[in-house]
Amino acid sequence: MKRPAILALPVLALVFWVQVRIDRQLGAARTQQDVLYLWSGPHVRRLFPGFEGLAADLYWLRTVQYFGSSRAFAQDTRMPLLGPLLDITVTLDPRMEVAYRYGAIFLGEPVPLGAGRPREAVALLERGAQALTDNWRIRQDLGFLLFLYLDDYRRAAEVLLEASRRPGAAFWLKNMAADILARGGDRATARQMWRQIYEQSEGVVRANALINLQVLEAFEQADRLTRLVEELTRRHGRRPRSLDEVRASGLLRSPAVDSSGTPFVYDAETGRVRVSPQSILHRPDRESP
Amino acid sequence: MRRVGAVAFNTYRETVRERVLYNLVFFAILMTLSGVLLGQLSIRQDEKIIKDIGLASMDLFGTLIAIFIGVGLVNKEIERRSLYPLLAKPLAREEFFVGKFLGLCFTLLVNVAVMTVGLWLTLAATGRRPDPHLLAAIFPIYLGLMLVVALALVFSTLTSPALAAVCTVGVVLVGRFSDVIRSMREVAPGVPRWMPNGLYYLLPNFRNFDFKDRVVYGDPVSAQTLLWVTAYALLYVAVLILGGLAVFRTRDLQ
Repeated sequence: MKRPAILALPVLALVFWVQVRIDRQLGAARTQQDVLYLWSGPHVRRLFPGFEGLAADLYWLRTVQYFGSSRAFAQDTRMPLLGPLLDITVTLDPRMEVAYRYGAIFLGEPVPLGAGRPREAVALLERGAQALTDNWRIRQDLGFLLFLYLDDYRRAAEVLLEASRRPGAAFWLKNMAADILARGGDRATARQMWRQIYEQSEGVVRANALINLQVLEAFEQADRLTRLVEELTRRHGRRPRSLDEVRASGLLRSPAVDSSGTPFVYDAETGRVRVSPQSILHRPDRESP
Repeated sequence: MRRVGAVAFNTYRETVRERVLYNLVFFAILMTLSGVLLGQLSIRQDEKIIKDIGLASMDLFGTLIAIFIGVGLVNKEIERRSLYPLLAKPLAREEFFVGKFLGLCFTLLVNVAVMTVGLWLTLAATGRRPDPHLLAAIFPIYLGLMLVVALALVFSTLTSPALAAVCTVGVVLVGRFSDVIRSMREVAPGVPRWMPNGLYYLLPNFRNFDFKDRVVYGDPVSAQTLLWVTAYALLYVAVLILGGLAVFRTRDLQ
């Protein structure tokens, strides 16, 4: 044992070799097991006297990592720990605006983009609105989610009006509330809302808003194509057999594909064009009847 | 007063040579810097995370330094027998005791100042303004650390360093749960009313020194509040030092 440093090198090589064997046994991209030892926010709060803010940051980091890794790797996409993690985060720091706003999107978005629990998302934002009484953005998001996820137009408009009365509120909130009351659940209002979320956010929530904007655009495109089919039917006295026929007629100049590159589906029986079920933008629950 | 100053200065020189101090300061700085990395992993919380971690490091590691150095201050001098020649000089036990307290408080002041500069530099390095408002949280943290030093010093006159450390940690923890003590009757209605109230006022209330969340969110902390908190810290420190002195004066050092 005169030169322990020299001996350390082959041992280090052995460590590398053993790690490779372990990865081969268990899989290199092992995700952390979903475990939450403490489920109650108040109990966790009791564990960190004087360090609640720091603990809230750590729980928020864990929430973001959990959401990201669940979306990317997990088999079970219902994200069972998301609700408790957010509850603990906002119990530890009831003023953490980002946890209410982003957490609600994580919770509310349909599977596989989110946890698919819109009522929990709304409850989280309601809790945020109670904790941050002067915050207009949380009320704005609450209005958006009531409109986008629960189709509760009347309440959405009420909440947006409430948001417009908070200090520093955006000027367009009142107009949006009026639009919702006047036109109900139209796509233009939904697009306006997703555009606002897109402009006000970053990271995964911004990417999510972009997907939703693309979904709405795909529905618009499908409706436009249906109108072209109707036009051609009027001209020829019969429905076209395919969308290629519409294109050949000169009414359609670009390929009939959505922004993900998936061709639209045409039903020659009804003359209706729809977003393909194979497309990542397909949302059967949001299609117009 | 000059003699107290001399003991304090020597205590400062002695404590800055302690390896444990450097270890703890190193971890505190490492933790503050980790805020930069953790902030990038979060969404829109980077500045808050850097401030939270920086302030928590000051509080946590400052408390550890105060406890682990504080409990050895008097005992070490007795064990090494370096106290006897000191007391043979024209130096009263009171002066020695108060000097030891002030010396460690000065070490902690330097420590907190270094960490504050570190936190400001971390903020500046990430493109944020070195927020002077943070001092409204840092000053009470320092007051709390003074109280921990006084506690550690008192316990170190009563018992061995290990037991003194356990006792100090215990009292500091209980002091951080002061709100739980006050609402004890809600979970245990059979407890007589005087008990939670008595414990609440008797034990040091470390919640008084916690302004971290308020400052991080930019809430104002009034000068009047800081004044009351300072008065509380100074009065409690005075009580502990006087109590410790009473024990130290009567302690048989043979």
